[in-house]
Amino acid sequence: MPALVMENIIKSLDFRSVLTLRQVCRDFLNFIDRLNDSKLPDSGFSKIGIRLNKDICLKIEDQDCRQHHFIYSESDNSRSYNGKTTTLENLNVMDVAVRDLELILKFQKSTLNCSNFDLNDFQHSKESPFSVELNNMFRKINRKIKTKDLVIISDSQFGFMSILPFSDPETLEFIDLHPTDHEMQIEMDEIVKTEQWRKAKKIHCIFYALNMTVEDICHLSGFGGTMPSISFRDLDFLRKTFITNSNFEYSEFAVRDFEKIEGISDTWGPAFHSEYWSYWYFRIKDSNEKILGLKSQENIYLFQNIELNDVPNGAAVQDYNKN
Amino acid sequence: MSSTEQGTSSAAPAEPTTAPESAAAPEVPESFYYVHGKDKVVHKVSAGALQHSALIHGMISNLGYTEEQAKANPFPFENIDGDILQMVVDWCNQHKGKPTPPEDTNLPKQKEKLFDLVLAVNYLEIKELLTYCCKQVAMMVKGKSPEEIREIWMIPTDAEDEAAEKEAKKRAGKEAAGETAAAAGDAK
Repeated sequence: MPALVMENIIKSLDFRSVLTLRQVCRDFLNFIDRLNDSKLPDSGFSKIGIRLNKDICLKIEDQDCRQHHFIYSESDNSRSYNGKTTTLENLNVMDVAVRDLELILKFQKSTLNCSNFDLNDFQHSKESPFSVELNNMFRKINRKIKTKDLVIISDSQFGFMSILPFSDPETLEFIDLHPTDHEMQIEMDEIVKTEQWRKAKKIHCIFYALNMTVEDICHLSGFGGTMPSISFRDLDFLRKTFITNSNFEYSEFAVRDFEKIEGISDTWGPAFHSEYWSYWYFRIKDSNEKILGLKSQENIYLFQNIELNDVPNGAAVQDYNKN
Repeated sequence: MSSTEQGTSSAAPAEPTTAPESAAAPEVPESFYYVHGKDKVVHKVSAGALQHSALIHGMISNLGYTEEQAKANPFPFENIDGDILQMVVDWCNQHKGKPTPPEDTNLPKQKEKLFDLVLAVNYLEIKELLTYCCKQVAMMVKGKSPEEIREIWMIPTDAEDEAAEKEAKKRAGKEAAGETAAAAGDAK
């Protein structure tokens, strides 16, 4: 078949049919694999996730919420899908799993609701870690993954950076970075410089984020994370930023090296105390109804955008003051 | 050589029908061109209908033929079967100067005919008709297994393909050896 004819036929087929066509013969496989992504139909999946454990699990959810699980077993050297197991003979399971993911992403045009990459590197026979394999695959497809939520589980900045820069910053709304161990300390200097970090609306990073400053999180409408330490200057910087940001929702962080912060009451006035918590309230720029609340207890700080009605009786609300 | 004019056969290329003269604005007489396929049957087609084919349209623009020259030099498409070219000509006539509909249900149902039509239309660069034909071919393979598609499209398996390739190479090698031997014999 001439190339233009094949392209036209593929244009009229759905994702599944093109995958079937790919299996017809080597010529079709090569043709489809070399075809520009824009000429392929949209697979239209809503969620994609890959997890490395004893086996590799590739999970896909379609727009009708139907889940598809592919299991790649190193012990059996096989791939299972829908009750059908295929022996991979002399192929490496990790290579096959990454190749399958590449194929799925090649067909993904619409924006995914969620992408989940669990890089908890299990000792596989393949010498290079899973994060390196995925990073190579993303470089090869040379296209940003359109996803609203991006969840990455890793034990290093390298692991996070093997995925994060390949997501489309224009569609990315929420970045959720998980450690493999909550006590982990992870350098953030490269991560916070990415366009994806700077353009995201909400970010959670539930580990001790080293080299991350309050300036790196003040643009976010939602943040949750752990920082090594925080000063009154940092808290006041965040207060000043949040009272002028109409999109702000919450920012919650725990501090590892807890020291009582001096000078808060001198500048912000006395706190309102309830149970174990101390509260301060501040008026927001150009709003009579919205209030910025700061709730603090030992090493935990939570800034929240709340309604005026939610301020408890007896608590003072500071006038709007950006200085 | 025989010819047809919009599906009607005649012994020689027919003269173009002249449009009745209008008192308000004199119409420019339509120009006609002639094409034939493998069967040498000549089809008279208006320039308007041929606009669908980017290939023929390009040839016409470059040649600047007069009516007489066009009649004397029909475009030869030896690689297209006569009945397939007839289908193409009919389609171009039916859709002359009209916007093409989103679907075309008058395409051949027989797969061999459809595949020949696809190849002809691709060669003649008739974009809309190619889209319809490819849609129909796509419908044939939707929901089918790789084995069924191979059967529908008459595609050999990779193993069969490799075997045929080996056989062809072997044959070519033998022929080349034969030719060399013959040449050596001649030289002696």
